[in-house]
Amino acid sequence: MANAKRTDSTSPGWATRYRNELGLVLAVIAVIGVTLLFNRDYLMQPGRNFQDIVQQTALLGIFSLGAAIVIISGGIDLSSGSVIVFSGSTCGLVMLLLAPVGDNGQPDATDVGIGVVAIAIGAAILVGLIVGTFHTWLITGVKLPPFVATLASLVGLRSLAKILNQAVTAELGNQVTKVRAEDLHFLKLREWWVAPVVFLVLGILCWFLMNRTVIGRHLYALGGNEDAARLSGIRTDLLKWLAYSIGAVTASIAGILYTAKITAADPSTMAVGYELSAIAASVVGGCSLQGGIGSIPGVMLGVLFLRIVMDAVAKIVQAGSDDYQGLIVGFLVVLAVAFNEMRRQNSGTRKEMFPGVLGFCTVPILALLMGIIVFVFSKQISFGLATGIVALLGLLAWKLWEVFRIKRTV
Amino acid sequence: MNANETPMISIQSVTKRYPGVVALEDVSFDIMPGELHSICGENGAGKSTLMKILSGVIPDYEGQLLIRGTPVRFRNTRSAEAAGVSIIHQELNLVEQLSASANVFLGRELRSGLGLLDQRRMNAETRKLLQELECDVDPQSPAGSLRVGDQQLLEIAKALSLNTDILIMDEPTSALTESEVERLYRVIERLRQRGVTILYISHKMDEVFRLSDRITVLRDGRHVETLNRADTSPREITHLMVGREIDAMNLQDAREIGDVVLEVRQLSRPWPGHARAWRLRDISFKLRRGEILGIAGLMGAGRTELLECLFGASTEACQGQVYLEDRPVRFRHPSDAKNAGIAMVTEDRKRLGIFAQMTVRENISMCNLQRTGVAGILRAGQERTMVQDSIQRLGVKTAGMEAAITSLSGGNQQKTIIGRWLLTNPKVLLLDDPTRGVDVGAKAELYRLMDTLCREGISIILTSSELPELLTVSDRILVLAEGRLTAEFSRQEATEQKIMEAATATAAHTD
Repeated sequence: MANAKRTDSTSPGWATRYRNELGLVLAVIAVIGVTLLFNRDYLMQPGRNFQDIVQQTALLGIFSLGAAIVIISGGIDLSSGSVIVFSGSTCGLVMLLLAPVGDNGQPDATDVGIGVVAIAIGAAILVGLIVGTFHTWLITGVKLPPFVATLASLVGLRSLAKILNQAVTAELGNQVTKVRAEDLHFLKLREWWVAPVVFLVLGILCWFLMNRTVIGRHLYALGGNEDAARLSGIRTDLLKWLAYSIGAVTASIAGILYTAKITAADPSTMAVGYELSAIAASVVGGCSLQGGIGSIPGVMLGVLFLRIVMDAVAKIVQAGSDDYQGLIVGFLVVLAVAFNEMRRQNSGTRKEMFPGVLGFCTVPILALLMGIIVFVFSKQISFGLATGIVALLGLLAWKLWEVFRIKRTV
Repeated sequence: MNANETPMISIQSVTKRYPGVVALEDVSFDIMPGELHSICGENGAGKSTLMKILSGVIPDYEGQLLIRGTPVRFRNTRSAEAAGVSIIHQELNLVEQLSASANVFLGRELRSGLGLLDQRRMNAETRKLLQELECDVDPQSPAGSLRVGDQQLLEIAKALSLNTDILIMDEPTSALTESEVERLYRVIERLRQRGVTILYISHKMDEVFRLSDRITVLRDGRHVETLNRADTSPREITHLMVGREIDAMNLQDAREIGDVVLEVRQLSRPWPGHARAWRLRDISFKLRRGEILGIAGLMGAGRTELLECLFGASTEACQGQVYLEDRPVRFRHPSDAKNAGIAMVTEDRKRLGIFAQMTVRENISMCNLQRTGVAGILRAGQERTMVQDSIQRLGVKTAGMEAAITSLSGGNQQKTIIGRWLLTNPKVLLLDDPTRGVDVGAKAELYRLMDTLCREGISIILTSSELPELLTVSDRILVLAEGRLTAEFSRQEATEQKIMEAATATAAHTD
């Protein structure tokens, strides 16, 4: 049968191949639509909102691309947030060190010249390359698991940035932790369109690398089955170096742009927890943490979706959106992965949602969670309480139905 | 056997569907108390699916299962064990870091009065069980440090401690040495005296006929026949399994053997931290153009280790000299070997061969992507042509090159991996047990393929766990025993008897 069918009739159509990306586009549109129902701000100030969302998306997106390539190649990079801080600090310190001395005997870094800015940016990117190389050595040479190697950088680099900032600024006469970056050329990077352009260019480069080059195919192979890749004559160590270097360098680039945006590099507050947002965006964009699966357009849309939802919540509740950020990211990651899992298992085995005693204990936990979420969004105790009780009864009914169904089949 | 007796297990119209595939279709037969019932069938015949249903691994299926006359439906292995059914999987299920006794009592640990673990009693009970099975190991030694044969007996001990009266054994002898197999036979005899009903899955006809009372043949998920051993013959069973005559393979005629392509001198591979100290010791041989060199040996004799050395894939540095077309070579990474013209198809296809997330196309082109484009950029058109040629040449049965690799049968997956390597135009092809998990029909196709490749001037080194296979396709056979080369036979000289003698002749060679 199959022999007769030589033509490629099984080649899936683009709708199935890009199902994940299509879904995300629809989700983005849906979220914008819902936001419009509750809040007119998008219509009142379309320009400012657009610039805001696009810049925020791009800043998160730049290092999410790197995180995604590491994940696709079967690793994990937990260090992005700290690399952002460290490279941002490096950038600021280099400008301070090379700045002319002002009237008060301190370096005056408000106009260091375009050459110095270029050197500072180069130094920051070099930091990324160094960190990536170091990670690869820890992983392939010392044989540390990627989680441990990059965890060490996550905690270590932020601390090192603080100490280094203090030590260098002390040498210059005025010890601080937060390094200001106020050069007028450097601050041109604050323009709203800079980050999106960088994001787009990097996105196209990464897409080309992953989809159109031998190296990209080998990275997917490495993530899918490392032993088989090695035994196929693929230099897996070199590929890992590339993946972790891309991961760290994209974080450095983001670090430069963040530093410009807030005119300073502050190790105490800057980019805390961003590595997890990047990993979350990759996962929402369709990457599998087991490696070998994921697409660059998917990740870019994943970032956009994550950002749009955060913005929508900020608009609707009209409060500090930062406080809700973690809740939203957590919720979306669980939802996205559960959705992918369900699609993968599809009709095969009918599984219970709340199996056994554990399932029984989960029912009140979920009800409590729903109640609290409704309470914090509505700011009304009674709403939260009502939701909790309704959820408890509903889920309990579900659990009982499952128990009953199993009793019947046995 | 008494016809009025209640069957121990009664399988009634059991059907198991997977999306797109029916693994078992309307299978019904009975297993009587105390009998040893063999289940035979090709790969994919549905044996393991049926065993998984019987042991509670697969809880959802159609049809009915009766144990001692009462209908049951196991929801997990625990409920099966409670009903007295245990399974010894082919790939053993031990926690290697835990001790032997901890493994036996895993999940139902004995406790002392205070609710703490009663290590002493567990050790004592384990020792008693193991002694009964002629297994002389310390209950406190980690399971992972035991030999495969002892690990298997440990699993049997566990089953016994569960008061199992139905024991399922899935290809239990596939990893055992001769003496371990003999011991296993004695253990089986003892279990039968205790009245244990045994379901025995095996490919090996001599075993099946030595042990069984009755034999059931499955084919393509259907029940073909259940026969008394006395009323049948190995020939009839294989015939029922295949459902067609296997055409007699005749590959020997006039293959031209050329000059030496690969020469190995005094090859040794260290084994740090192991009592034997050497995985391989002083191996020397020559491989000629157009020749198939078979390598025989029991599990652990060093077959895979030898191929890994030749392919630059070994974790330890190998000592000795290797000459490829008279030039000395030393491979530090498989990519060196690949560039020099050596290809290797690995033993464990799932773990070391295929990229499960990828398509047939991506799996075939993996080793040869550099040649499809300039400066490392892929050329989709060239890649497709290359893959299409490969699929046609090897007769890979696939719905198309964009089909998922996992949708192919084992034999066809193996062909895609061979195809992957043939695209690199190798001079030497290393095949590590290429027909493992491949059904009879596809095996014959692979043999024919090897023959064609040799006629085209490729040299092949083939290892196999099945002697008849080596005897069919090899021009010469080398025998390894515990890392040493113990014999070399030409096709004319070689017999199963002689090879087995050389493969087990380790004691005589200790120096």
